[in-house]
Amino acid sequence: MDETVSLDLAVEDFSSEHDIKTLIEEMNYQDPAFLIGIFVSLAVVIITIVLLKYFLGSKTTRNAVLLVGLCDAGKTLLFSRLLLGRFKRTQTSIAENSAIYKAKNERGSSWTLVDLPGHESLRPQYVEKFKASARALVFVVDSALFQKEVRDVAEFLYSLLTDSVVAKNAPSLVVACNKQDIRMTKSAKLIQQQLEKELNTLRVTRSATLTSQDGSVGGAVYLGKKGRDFEFSQLPMKVEFMECSARGHQGDEGDADIEALEKYLAKL
Amino acid sequence: MLDFFAIFSKGGIVLWCFQGAGVAESFAAPVNVLIRSVILQERSGNNSFNHNSLTLKYKLDNEFELVFVVGFQKILMLTYVDKLIDDIQLHFRDRYKNELEQKGAIKYLVNDFEFGDDFDQLLREAEESSRLKDPVVMRTFTQSLKSQKTVKSMIETKGGDKGKEQGGKKNKNAKKEEEVAGAAQSKSPPTSKKVVVNGNQDLTKEELIQRNREEMFRKMAKSGTATRSPKPQKEKEKEKEEKKKAAKAKRVWDNCGTNLKELDYSDKVNGSQDAGLAREHAEPEMHLESMAGDLRDVDYESSEPEDEEEEEEEEEEVERVVVTEASKTGAKRGGLGGMFGMFKGLVGSKSLTQEDMEPVLDKMRDHLIAKNVAADIASRLCDSVAKKLEGKVMGTFTTVASTVKQALQDSLVQILQPKRRVDILRDVMEARSQRKPFVITFCGVNGVGKSTNLAKISYWLIENGFSVLIAACDTFRAGAVEQLRTHQRRLSMLHPSDQHGGRPSVQLFEKGYGKDAAGIAMEAIAYARNQVFDVVLVDTAGRMQDNAPLMTALAKLIAVNTPDLVLFVGEALVGNEAVDQLVKFNQALADHSMSDRPRLIDGIVLTKFDTIDDKVGAAISMTYITGQPIVFVGTGQTYNDLRSLNARAVVSALMKA
Repeated sequence: MDETVSLDLAVEDFSSEHDIKTLIEEMNYQDPAFLIGIFVSLAVVIITIVLLKYFLGSKTTRNAVLLVGLCDAGKTLLFSRLLLGRFKRTQTSIAENSAIYKAKNERGSSWTLVDLPGHESLRPQYVEKFKASARALVFVVDSALFQKEVRDVAEFLYSLLTDSVVAKNAPSLVVACNKQDIRMTKSAKLIQQQLEKELNTLRVTRSATLTSQDGSVGGAVYLGKKGRDFEFSQLPMKVEFMECSARGHQGDEGDADIEALEKYLAKL
Repeated sequence: MLDFFAIFSKGGIVLWCFQGAGVAESFAAPVNVLIRSVILQERSGNNSFNHNSLTLKYKLDNEFELVFVVGFQKILMLTYVDKLIDDIQLHFRDRYKNELEQKGAIKYLVNDFEFGDDFDQLLREAEESSRLKDPVVMRTFTQSLKSQKTVKSMIETKGGDKGKEQGGKKNKNAKKEEEVAGAAQSKSPPTSKKVVVNGNQDLTKEELIQRNREEMFRKMAKSGTATRSPKPQKEKEKEKEEKKKAAKAKRVWDNCGTNLKELDYSDKVNGSQDAGLAREHAEPEMHLESMAGDLRDVDYESSEPEDEEEEEEEEEEVERVVVTEASKTGAKRGGLGGMFGMFKGLVGSKSLTQEDMEPVLDKMRDHLIAKNVAADIASRLCDSVAKKLEGKVMGTFTTVASTVKQALQDSLVQILQPKRRVDILRDVMEARSQRKPFVITFCGVNGVGKSTNLAKISYWLIENGFSVLIAACDTFRAGAVEQLRTHQRRLSMLHPSDQHGGRPSVQLFEKGYGKDAAGIAMEAIAYARNQVFDVVLVDTAGRMQDNAPLMTALAKLIAVNTPDLVLFVGEALVGNEAVDQLVKFNQALADHSMSDRPRLIDGIVLTKFDTIDDKVGAAISMTYITGQPIVFVGTGQTYNDLRSLNARAVVSALMKA
């Protein structure tokens, strides 16, 4: 029995030795071509990853200007006016409109103008889709109905400003107080003050949960400075308030009063 | 005849519109209502919509992202409208194919779509085709069958049965005769059939042949002059008969009915509601942390089972439906179908048709029903998704299954997103600044957790610095008032009054048992206003939705006291009953309110969310039926177990295989 066992062992040792030898031989034989092949493929993979990161990197993707706002604020009409200066009848949008916009400045730069739907059930998913590529945000406010809707406007603005992606990229924000052609509308200054007050309150009611949330969509951003009343100047991004009227003062056929907005967009 | 016709892009730009003569108001408002209530709420299975006095019919073109809407007065009941929309859609696409295929939204702005002449022409054609159908002329007596029968044959004898037995061919002949005779009235065929059977028995064979020959001659003579309709009608009825006979032969009573079309013997009547029950589950972490500020979202990841005692009152018994879930692999396999079929399906752009989507949609429907979505809601959702995807061009490397799943997921997230701002704390602050109390009323059926969740919500409000008055308007259930008193004592202990500026943080307003609930609520609100309480939480008795007197009482309470928020408390365990409960509650509130803008349910509290694993379909059913958001989610029986709804987590739980 022992003999057989030892014999087996011997046989095995021998065979394993043989295997190892052949292995080493094979490796030596294949060494150059094999190893070179491995290195080349690794290098190709690394280079493609680097190239992809470069091309899909943040440099070229942030070239969109988003038109956001509540439902019926006038975003789609503003979109049409900015692009072509024409008046078009509009209905509630259920999908986004995007087009290339050539800015009216010497450089002739062009970027994408995107008009997102404002309806409450569509808003989150479209903002989610486009927020990373935003270079500037145009927040359109209905100045005529602002008094009634101030809390809704503030809540949307708050969710935009506290979004982690937006807070990181800090795109410039302009609040366009639309529908100035209607008689008794609020001015941009008034809207700014009221929004600051609302956001101050919202900051207090929402901030207490920031410790318990785990970085989900709500974001862990605290607006402005603690201990002081909220003001738009405390934000990391540039904020401007301006008045405009997409419909224009001369009725449907006339031009819109959007020069301030166009000048702003030209400066981007 | 039409009030208006509008063609606009999904992005909202109107490409072309037509306003009927004499119509004063613009169509923008009704179309906006259509978009918001139908398309955005995923109710687009049925393509017509009534708004005030208008009926709106619409059609989505998913390939070019267009919407076609036509509106006309509801009382007119025009029949050519469906065909008109289809014709116009095809015509518009063909004519402007080049312009519409450009990329970007600029194509809608740059091009002028002069469609007026084409539209007029198509409208004229449609109106004429609807007028072409000749009115049906009644038969004269000499044409009818009765004039040919002898008196003897009309006497019913016992031999009538034998006549029927003889009859395969004779019956067929008899039927042919009736159909030949023209637009048959429904009553005459059965009676004349019987009589003819008897007649057959009495007449001899030659007389029968003679009679048939006469009929045929008459038929041929008639066909020269009169309408063509009897012949095709006869053929159609014969075909139907044969098909019916063939279908009858095919009907096999075993469980192999996979094709729903075979099994569907109804005439497209709304499907019946089967009873389904499944349980939903989501677990929070149980720790005594502060509940200040906004509520946390519902946690989805955790999965510890917990033994829970059942709630006291009886729960409705619904039978369990064991449904084998269609797995994802099954759907993928359906999309592949053969070696080269797989490649064909992946590469290249093809547009989706109803047949492509049907198997996937059926599987998704079964999947949703297995996840405790009400059966009716699941089928309506799938129809709406089908309408949204029909004709859409798929990109390369996307299968039908993945496109449909993605669309279904998007529409589910859309349904669960609240249509209005949900921020109770902010609204309470607003009410406090106006020096009036914010009144919240809880209603629901028995045993869903109204009192428990009322206590949780008052805990949350006290944590955020508001003072709460609990109004015990459940004057019926034994121990209801004592239960609330115990909660009030415990909450006061947890938040002693010295921390709240010397005022009691929570107080109970009760008047014992047997009194009128609406009166107690009114007194409680007046008391709160005097004592400057911030919030009043009104607890009502649980009641079944079919119990008319109790529903009237609830409606009266709400109509008289006009609370700021009417919350319907529903448990997540409920299956198809959720639809019935919500519909009947809303109906009762609308019927018994005196004003023309009745207060309906404003929000939903979804309770017992921790008892279901991922069968979260009740959330979908409830939000779909009412269109109102889910304001709170109850995830346990302690004060901390109150969350807000996280739409994405719920949808991912729902779509998980």
